[in-house]
Amino acid sequence: MPSASITLSSTPAAARHSDFPLIEASNVTVGFTTGSWLRPIYQEVLSNVSLTVRKGRFVTLLGPSGCGKSTLLKTLGGLVAPSGGSIMINSQPVSHALEDHEIGLVFQDAALLPWKSSLANAAFLCQLVRDRHTTQSALQRGREMLSLVGLSGSENKLPNQLSGGMRQRVSIARALALDPEILLMDEPFGALDAITRDQLNFALLDIWSQTQKTVIFVTHSISEALLLSDEIHVMGVKPGRIIESIEVDLPRPRTMETLEEARFKSYERELRKLLMTGHGE
Amino acid sequence: MNMTTTNTKGNPDISVAAITRRGWREISPAVFAVVGTLILWELAVKWLKVPEIIIAAPSSIGHSLVHNAKLLADSSGVTLAIIVYGFALSVVLGIVLALLLVRFPTASRAVYPLVVLFQTVPKVALAPIFVIWFGYDLSPKILLIIVISFFPISLNMIAGLRSVDPNLLLLMRSIGCSKTETLLRVMVPSALPSLFAGLKIGVTFSVIGAIVAEFSGANRGLGYLIQFASSQLDTPLVFASLVVVSAMGVALFYAVALLEHFIIPWASSSEI
Repeated sequence: MPSASITLSSTPAAARHSDFPLIEASNVTVGFTTGSWLRPIYQEVLSNVSLTVRKGRFVTLLGPSGCGKSTLLKTLGGLVAPSGGSIMINSQPVSHALEDHEIGLVFQDAALLPWKSSLANAAFLCQLVRDRHTTQSALQRGREMLSLVGLSGSENKLPNQLSGGMRQRVSIARALALDPEILLMDEPFGALDAITRDQLNFALLDIWSQTQKTVIFVTHSISEALLLSDEIHVMGVKPGRIIESIEVDLPRPRTMETLEEARFKSYERELRKLLMTGHGE
Repeated sequence: MNMTTTNTKGNPDISVAAITRRGWREISPAVFAVVGTLILWELAVKWLKVPEIIIAAPSSIGHSLVHNAKLLADSSGVTLAIIVYGFALSVVLGIVLALLLVRFPTASRAVYPLVVLFQTVPKVALAPIFVIWFGYDLSPKILLIIVISFFPISLNMIAGLRSVDPNLLLLMRSIGCSKTETLLRVMVPSALPSLFAGLKIGVTFSVIGAIVAEFSGANRGLGYLIQFASSQLDTPLVFASLVVVSAMGVALFYAVALLEHFIIPWASSSEI
């Protein structure tokens, strides 16, 4: 692993969109035991999910609530242990990727520390991982990441002085600060209004093309999935599973006009139909 | 309605006159309520000819306050000292217990029921026992304050630690942070607003604890003075002591609120 890297990306441009399988999940099953200790109930959240994510791709898990897409995301990042199957990242168990800080996380709520400024929030993880950063280099890195997400000049603001969209930008800056190989995003723009959401979608595309991360993105919005992704995995409920995987063959860079294209509309129809069948109703 | 005076540009007017005007609008209802109550009280005692031994009129309480100023001040000093010692130790005990219970969940399952059980004991009733064990000096009084006020502090701290955003814990785990580091870096700061809610309850409990402790065995302090005065049928002095105790409680409460305002300005609820 490259050690103290303060560049935007550790991935050379040539490796982009290579066929190198970065994440390989095979037959992943996840179940939880719920209920009381008197009568425990085993509930299968994900059943037999296999998925390969190639390096540098923008991959979306699309599905209705309760299909286990967030669980799948956390399982792929090694934050939920599967009850069956295996997950390899870079041909190694997922725990290695975690130890090397290769997993960046963005949640639906920004989950910022309310007592820290934007800059301190963006640099927070760098300050905790001391073998990579000094206090100075962590702050420097935080500043770079804030400028990457378009928040230069807001370094000293506290989270409660920022709008919802700006808070989410800070959380993206924080996730990128340790330069992870993989960015896991769990419905990051789901709580934002439509206009802010569009802005952040395009900002994310921009950030992604600059940093060349591998992104796994969870959403239940069809148009958001289409606008962003290289490939979309449509998930169904009971049990949570992948029912169909689609390559999105829309040209990049994608803009507002992309949303009006005939091909975009036909993808939209196809995905809507798939979601209906996956819903089982 | 809480309208702010504005000048022609729509910005809030911050001239001294305007600030005074807004401040008066803010506090005048409370001033009228207090002054009105005192006047009603005075008139009721006068007109209904209530004996002074039963209820003292505000004027005679005021007279007693002035007349016994030295005695009240000395007694307040004694009581304030045990409140401060007792409260400080309650804070330390409350926080340490909360940290341990949250950091070691298994131990918590063993200890927590005991803590709750202990809380159900009427601790006021422990005061005489503490006097038997420790005599008349400071320790039984401080101990009573601790057993009364550590619980709300601890409970609020635990609630605060447990209500941390689970995504933050996930984030800390994703970079391999130890549990102790997560506790100190993320959970403790997140718990501070909750802790301060507990401290505000705890500090008022400490005042109660101090007075009860002084009832049970003391030869100085406001609690002792109240008992002494009532045995002499000096009701105005009893009321005067109560005024001082209340003033002390209010002052301590706002001291904690002020501290909260400076320590966690980011918590929007920290309104004084």
